[in-house]
Parts: sequence; C-alpha cells; structure tokens
Amino acid sequence: MRRLRAKLGLVLLAVAYVSALYWVLTRSEPVIHSREVTIYFAHWQIERGPPDGINAAIKRYEELNPRVHVVQLQIPGATIYPQWMRSNLAGETGPDLMEWGAWLPGQKDIPARYFAPLTAELAKPNPYNRGTSQEKIPWQDTFHDKLLAPKRDSPDPGQIYGVNITESTLRLFCNVELMKEILGRVVVPKNFDDLRKILAQVQDFSRRTGRTVHGLAGSRDTTRAVAQSVFVAPLLGVNQRLDDGGTLYLYNRQVLAAYLAGRWRYSEPAVRAGLQLVRETTNAMKPGFIQLRRDDAMIEFLRGQALFFFYGTWDATSLRRLASFKIQPMKLMQAMPDDPEVGRYVLGQGGEGIGETSLAMYLNKASRHPAEALDFLKFLTSVPGQQLFTDASLWLPAVNGAVVPEEIRNFRDYQEGISFGQAPYDMIGTEVSMNWDRNFYLLSGENGSAEKFAAAMDAAMPAAIREDLNAELRATLVLVKPQDPVIVGWAGLTGDKARIRREESEAAQTMSEGLALQMKLQLAQAK
Amino acid sequence: MDPARRILPLILVWPLLAVGAAAPAGPDRAWSALADNRPQDVLRQLRRDADSRADRLAWAAARIGAQPATDANMREAEAVLAELESGTDELAAEAAYLRARIYQLHLNEPDFAQAAQLFAELARRRPESHWAQLGLVKLGLLKLYLLPDLTDPGSDRLAAAEALLPRIHEPLLRRDLELQIGQAGIVLHQPQARFLPHLIAAAQTGGITGTAREDLIVQIGVLSERAGDWARAREYFERYLAEYPTNVRAFTIRKKLGEVSHRLAQEGGA
Repeated sequence: MRRLRAKLGLVLLAVAYVSALYWVLTRSEPVIHSREVTIYFAHWQIERGPPDGINAAIKRYEELNPRVHVVQLQIPGATIYPQWMRSNLAGETGPDLMEWGAWLPGQKDIPARYFAPLTAELAKPNPYNRGTSQEKIPWQDTFHDKLLAPKRDSPDPGQIYGVNITESTLRLFCNVELMKEILGRVVVPKNFDDLRKILAQVQDFSRRTGRTVHGLAGSRDTTRAVAQSVFVAPLLGVNQRLDDGGTLYLYNRQVLAAYLAGRWRYSEPAVRAGLQLVRETTNAMKPGFIQLRRDDAMIEFLRGQALFFFYGTWDATSLRRLASFKIQPMKLMQAMPDDPEVGRYVLGQGGEGIGETSLAMYLNKASRHPAEALDFLKFLTSVPGQQLFTDASLWLPAVNGAVVPEEIRNFRDYQEGISFGQAPYDMIGTEVSMNWDRNFYLLSGENGSAEKFAAAMDAAMPAAIREDLNAELRATLVLVKPQDPVIVGWAGLTGDKARIRREESEAAQTMSEGLALQMKLQLAQAK
Repeated sequence: MDPARRILPLILVWPLLAVGAAAPAGPDRAWSALADNRPQDVLRQLRRDADSRADRLAWAAARIGAQPATDANMREAEAVLAELESGTDELAAEAAYLRARIYQLHLNEPDFAQAAQLFAELARRRPESHWAQLGLVKLGLLKLYLLPDLTDPGSDRLAAAEALLPRIHEPLLRRDLELQIGQAGIVLHQPQARFLPHLIAAAQTGGITGTAREDLIVQIGVLSERAGDWARAREYFERYLAEYPTNVRAFTIRKKLGEVSHRLAQEGGA
C-alpha cells in the first residue's frame, strides 16, 4: 500500500512537472525580457490589412534592432479610441507612438498638450533610406504629399507633429456583377450627371423587380464622405471669394470667421446647390441610413443590396477579402459646369490633388523611450519599411520609392483640378458637425429639402460657430503659453542644437500667437 | 554584529548611490527640464530663494509654466523676476521679458497696457539684448491686435507695428514681425500695398517652416497677380511648383503660371 502511494506520488509529481514545463515553454511571459526596450504603437486601423502590414515592418525592425521590442496595440476607433487616448495621455501611461486625427471630436488640443514636434527630425534624411532612391532626401520630402495633412492639422503653423504611414483617397466601390445585371454592362461615370443617371436606373430596377437594391450603401459615416465629395463643386466660387490672403487654401478658422462676418450662408444659392447634390446622393441610400455605421453599409454592399459602397481606399482590402463578387473601384466625379442642375455655380473641374497621406502617428512627449520610438517611426516610413507595409496590407505606401502592388495601383489615379484643400463646410468644428448631423433629416428623404436644411443650419450656426472658433482659439493658446518656459530652457543651454531649437520655438510661438490674436479679433468684431 | 550583516545594507543601497552620482547635475538639469516642458521637475529641484540668480530665474520660468496656472502663482513668479530684473546682466533682461509676458499672456485677465510698457522699458534700457529684441516682436503683436482697443477702427495698427521694425536688429526676429504685420494686414482688410512688402521681406529672410512657408510662397504669388505684378507672381509660382510640385494647390498654380506668363509675353516682359 505504501509503495503504491509512493508510486502515485511520483506519477503526480511527474505530471505536475511536465504540465509546468509545458506552461512555461508555451504560455508564460519570460521573467526577464530578452530585449531591453519595449515601445508601444497604438492605432485604430483594425480593418483587414494594416495590422498585417505593421507586423511585417515590426518583424524586420526587431531583426535589425535586437534590443527593441515593438508592441502593436489595436484599439477600436470611433467611440473607444478617443477616450482611451485622452485618459492614457492625461495619466502619462500612453503608448510611445499614437495615431491621432484632427477630425476626432473634442480632441483638437491633444497634439499641443501631449505630442512632441518632429520638425527638426523631418528636415534630416531618414537613415533607413540609405541605398534607396530616397537616400539623402530630407525625411519630410520623402512623403508623397510632403505631409500635407500633418502640416495643415498642426496647431502650430511652423511645426510638424506627425508622420503618415499610408495614403488614401475616396472611391466608389462597384459590385461589377450587379451593375451588369442592372445596366447590361459596366458603366464608369465620367461626371456627376452620369452617376445621377446610374442611381436613377438602380431605383427603377428595384421598383420593376421588387428586389431591395439601393444605389449607395448607406450609413452616417459613408454619408459624411459622400457629402464632402459632392458638396464642394458648387462651392469653389465661395472658396475663392473667402480667400482674402491668396493662399488658395482655406483653414477651418477662416471658414468659421467668414461665417461670423456674414460672408457666406448655408441658404445662399451656391451652398444650397451643394446641399442639393448631397440630397441626391443620400436619397440613393436605404431609409434610416443616418442611424447606421460604416460596417452596416459594408454588410449591405457585401450582401449585394447596394450597387456602390463609397468610402476610403482603406476599406479596399477588407472588401476584396470578404466579397464574393468582383469589385471595381471608380472615382466619384464632381459636378461640372455643364451639369444640368447645378452647373451654373461650378467654376471648373474640381480636383482630388494627389491624394493625401494619412494614418498619422505621433510621438508621445511622455514616452519613456523617445529615441527608440522615433527610430521605429523612421523605419516604418522608410522605403524598405513601407514596402513591407504595403505588400502585407495592400494599403498604399506614404513615401516615394516603394513599389505599389499591382492590385492597388489604380488608387493613385487622381483627378486633377481646382482644390482649396479641405474647405469643409460641414465639419468645420465639433459644434458645427453636431448640428449638421442633428439636422440632416431635414435634407434627405421625401420630406427633406436643401432649403429646410439650410434654414435650420443658418439658425443654429452663429452660436455653434462662435463655440467652435473659441475652441480653436483655446487650442492655440494651449500651445502658446507653455512655450515661454520652453524658450527660457533652450536659452539656458549651450550649443548649436539649443540655439536652433530656441529660434524655432520663438518663431513658432509668435506665429501661433498671431493666429490666436486674429481669431480673438474676429470674435470681437462679430459681436 | 556580524560584519556580513553590516555590509549587506551597503550592498543594497550602493546601486541607488551610483545612479544618484551619475544623474546630470547643475543648472543644465533645470534648463533641460524647462526645454522639455517639464516645469514641475524644476519646481521639485530648485527653491524660490536659491543662491544663484540663474536658478531663481529657472524657478520663476517653471512657476509660470506649471499647473495650476493661477494668478497667485504668476504673482509669485513675478516677485522673483522683479528682483532679478534689477541686475545688469543678460539674466536681468530675460527676467524683464518674462515679467512682461506674465501681463501679456499668463494672467487670467491680461493687462496689455502694462505688458506694452514693460516691453518698451526693456527695449529702452537694453536695446541690443536678445530679450529686448524678442520683446519688441511681442510688443508689435500687442499694437497690431490689442492696443489701444480691439474695436477702434480708426487706429493705424500696421503703422504702430512698422515703427518698431528699425529697432529690431536680429534678422529672424525682424522676419517674424514682418510676417505678423503682413498677416495682420490681410485680416484687418488693409490695402494690399500696405502689407504685401512685409510678406515679401519675411520670405526673403527665409527659415520659415511647416505650412506657414508653403502658404507664404503661394500668398505672395497670388497677391502679386492680383496687383498686376506679373513678374513677381511668376517668380513665386515657379518657386512653389519647384518646391511643392505634387501639392493639392499645384494644379491651380500651374494654371495661374500659364496666365501670368502669357500676360508677360503680351507685355514683352517674358
């Protein structure tokens, strides 16, 4: 009996040992990490593609830098990311590198408060470009658009805070088989009127056959994208009129200030014409679309219940991997001067520019390893890093020199034309955007009209715009005030680097201060 | 007591002592913390009544930058700066500059008139000091937008700031004020001839970064075109396209370049 017990004990011990060994080898974290430095890279691009692309770049980077481990944090966007970002930054527990977007509601102050400017680094060549076509070229100039959006979205006109990982544009993704069934062939719209006719034919097809098919997959998110694309053509003349400084570009603060000064109204004919185009496109969506999100629209399209899905090329990889039918990306062409409905307000062909680079990553000021984080960012945006990213994600690279995979080459076929940058009359600020969404039911559907929507917006705008312009002013002052001690700090240090940083800080502060004072003046004059 | 037990605490504490010894010391530590926007670290490190004037200045700068940014904290910083200001070294000028900035920017209810007076006094006492020169730029901003009164349409705001330019000898600071006068001219709806030369002067000095640089080159081209100065418009459009050939504005600028080149050819100026 005793021998049996002893044997049983030994067996149990052996089982426990083997189990523990299995656990240690397969499941547990090492007690001592083999790499000295861990940096965290957080973003909300959890679509199909980017996580694979970023992982491919991380794998190679870790081979090149054995002391650094990079952890990719994928945080769902929309509602979760902004709160997660804000609380972690405030608690100084934020990741080293973070994605940020100027359009995130209520987050305008983030770069000034929490991110480090990269201007000086961007002026130097990216060391990971050695031996490539981008060798010796300043890092900033290796980007396809020279970082248009990070410059535009910078709270400080002299500084650049972020670098972009990819390039994107908006496209009409067409269900080719469904189009052949409805139209008998594939028709690529060459102008807005062509699209108008296609949407009418889809409606007719649905009526005749009794099948639920809509022209455009509908949701609140995709509506925003559609609106921004079709709204601008009749507004080119308004943009020109507001461009006092001759920058051929309008910033949010200019559009806000011009409204306060009574220089444009939603109810003026050209703006109403733009709204009319928005109405025409959203009427091709299913009822109740404003309650739905991007994923709902994607499902509608993938089920064959909508001919087009209009959104960014960032969804192309997901669509390609999930759809059971052939998809053809097409441009959503803007209205032209010969448009039968709104042509008299259109100055000429509106342009897409050359596409904007996007997925902007920022360096957290409180990073424990800023040098390593910046180094990884350089690798990810180098030619070799971007090649790995684009090949694995099928998202466009952000830099020159990386070869664009065949499957996505036509994403770079941009429409040339007049453009005033964003000039966003719908998203000029948090309050304006909320009012746009709140009143959208007055624009779309059987009972809606451009006139009703414009009247509602004009009633709500003075207060909303004042609030948004004040928010812009506050965000600018958040940047200006801390610069005084920073300048004193650089002045106290010796050496060329300190002198250059002091001079840059002084120039940037004066520019931002000037902008803040302009906004203050505009608010005071509009009282 | 066993000797090994006596040595043990020393062995445990030694790494901490070594780390302490290796940490950067001296005033550079405070300046670095300020430059890195960590004013709280400076306040932990220095005392308000530190022996060295440099340390007291760093403390006051940190007090201005640290949260909470209450008026009481600003007054505390000001008291230290006022004492430092009485010296004759560069720190005294720096202290005077910061003191004026408290009135201009950091108080909950700024006192712009007081700030302007302090900047003017500093420029009179120490005209060649960097801080007096920087103060003249900030005084220019006050005159452009805030003094005597925001809503006074009659005052020639540009002229008041222009009068400061000959006193600014540091090229980069002079450039910054030129740029501000130019931009204020647009916002204040002044005649183009009043502000365009300032934008050109700023661009000629160079060194402007970010989107401000792009905007400035386009602006000079477009405003010159509006004024019928085809040659200058062409110069700046060409410069823009050389530097930013793929920018979203390039299409329009190429079109404009074609138009101004045509005009120049017609007038025999090509």
